[in-house]
Amino acid sequence: MALTTPGEIAANAAKRKARPTPRVELSELRRKNDVAGTVFKGLLLGGIFVTFLILIVLLVQVVRDGSNVLTGRLGDFLSSGLGSSPEISGIAQALRGTFYVTLITALVAFPLGIASALYLEEYAPKSRLTNFINLNIRNLAGVPSVVYGILGLTIFVNGWGIRSITGGRTPIAAGLTLAALVLPIVIITATEALRGVPRALREAGYGVGATKSEVIKDHVLPYAAPGILTGTLLSIARAAGEAAPLILIGATTGFLSDIPGWGDVTQAREPFTALPIIIASWARQPQEGFKVDNAAAAIVVLVVFVLLVNAAAIFMRNRFERKRAGL
Amino acid sequence: MTRSNSTNKLVALLAALTMVAAACGGGDSEGSEGSTSGSTSGVNVSGSSTVEPIAIRVAEDFKTVDGDVKTQVSGPGTGDGFKLFCEGGTDISNASRTIKDSEAENCKENGINYVELKVAVDGIAVMTNPANTAVECLSFADLYALVGPESAGFETWAAGNEIAADAGGDAGLPDAPLVISAPGTESGTYDSFVEIVLEGIAEERGEEPDARIDYSSAADDNVIIETLATNDTSFGWVGFAFAVENADRVKLIDVKDADGNCVTPTPETIASNEYPIARDLFIYVNTGSAANNEGLVAFVDHFMDFGLDTAVAEAGYVPLTDEAKAATRAAWTGR
Repeated sequence: MALTTPGEIAANAAKRKARPTPRVELSELRRKNDVAGTVFKGLLLGGIFVTFLILIVLLVQVVRDGSNVLTGRLGDFLSSGLGSSPEISGIAQALRGTFYVTLITALVAFPLGIASALYLEEYAPKSRLTNFINLNIRNLAGVPSVVYGILGLTIFVNGWGIRSITGGRTPIAAGLTLAALVLPIVIITATEALRGVPRALREAGYGVGATKSEVIKDHVLPYAAPGILTGTLLSIARAAGEAAPLILIGATTGFLSDIPGWGDVTQAREPFTALPIIIASWARQPQEGFKVDNAAAAIVVLVVFVLLVNAAAIFMRNRFERKRAGL
Repeated sequence: MTRSNSTNKLVALLAALTMVAAACGGGDSEGSEGSTSGSTSGVNVSGSSTVEPIAIRVAEDFKTVDGDVKTQVSGPGTGDGFKLFCEGGTDISNASRTIKDSEAENCKENGINYVELKVAVDGIAVMTNPANTAVECLSFADLYALVGPESAGFETWAAGNEIAADAGGDAGLPDAPLVISAPGTESGTYDSFVEIVLEGIAEERGEEPDARIDYSSAADDNVIIETLATNDTSFGWVGFAFAVENADRVKLIDVKDADGNCVTPTPETIASNEYPIARDLFIYVNTGSAANNEGLVAFVDHFMDFGLDTAVAEAGYVPLTDEAKAATRAAWTGR
């Protein structure tokens, strides 16, 4: 194969895309009375309809329940802390807690996950041991989150020596626990993205005399970046909504006197609470104001938070894809 | 050219993030000793979710009095609270029952000394669906016949009539399906119900003092209310304050006292001990922490004034009588 630059590969791919697909002609050849086909199509459509309906019902219900708070006192709700009555309680501490926990999760899971994936995919010999490790990572991705909570409680909260770093029941301990939870997923998605890098791209790199690490750094990683980023950010957004591990870590459910500033990083080693915890705690209160209005409003905020992280994932993927195409 | 630029940016970003992480981790290690055993300046309250609203109200008001002391309140449950408390993890443990021997033993082994302070009274409401007009008043014998250890497998109220009659009850239970939803064994409310209602009769009859094992238990009181509100002939129990909040959805059943009079649960009948299923609510304070934590002392002082006088009532519980308040305050000052 002649030397091909990545730009040309992308251009070729674009050319291939531009060619008219033969699907139009095929559909004209379709048999007229394909009953089974129509039924099958209907079933598929029904599937997406049910999925969509569940989502709509959930969102409508939550937004309706939370509308009093969201329209009546949104600023107050976002800026005040936990309290004794629903009218004065807010999610200031929960927002900060969720932000710091998610940040720490990303800071730990992102580099560790990508490094592991790179090693497994690019350097590890194709041996039984490698297969065994790969298999285990896939199994770990299916372990229930509450199990990671127990792991976090044992190691990051109570672990001898580690406790002096995490400070006990803090966002650091929670972030490390959630990082352990998402690591297998990050590794798997990053591995898949690396596998998607065309062989020709690597060969081109080696062809001009680049070393292995240069090929990885300058060709493989940039090409795989959109896939890696999307997968990673999606799994981290998922982690932001986890309640079970945080309950075991010991996030505060009732009251916290302190509302630290957003930039105050020392709160990463202080008692904390988080949005999923507050939602669960409010939902079991007897007062309507807590279990309906406040809980629903907090759910809306959590959904918006997760959507923002997802939007960031999509934005960054598009950016990297444009760069990859050489635009 | 563009490619290697973007990679460099990515690498730089990762490096920057890693450094921030390192700074977060190492920057404030001098403050670490505090949170390992209770706290030296802050106040860490955990334990019963029933008592939690009182503690939250006190902590909230305490913030306006002394804003420098950091407080935190959680409510995982009485049992979980004592576990933490006796490991030195918390300064105050809320409890909807007194400490068990095994828990006290655990505290002793870890060198945790404490003072027990009674802060409020809470009734336990036995409830059914508003549609269940056949049931207005139950005796302890009836309650034992419905949920006692011998009743496992009973699917109607009437199935309990034989046991109820045998134990000295009226045996007028209706022939209707019996759906039971109540707190699980981890709850202080479960322990109190068993101790007050079931234990006496169970001992007389040579049975273990436990509820039947085949009822649907729930850690969330809202789930219990929901089950009762959606089943016409259901039965269950929760704390009185919780039941009152849902008085439009469930019916509170009167309970017969020792003289056979039906007593309706109200704040007055609970405070006067006329209503027979009432339990005391407590806080346990780590006296070792109190000795070198002025913030904790100030917090409990506030609990003794504002808490007993105002917060208890605001949280929906029955305040102590004046003598009982005096006794609690004396126990705190004499710790």
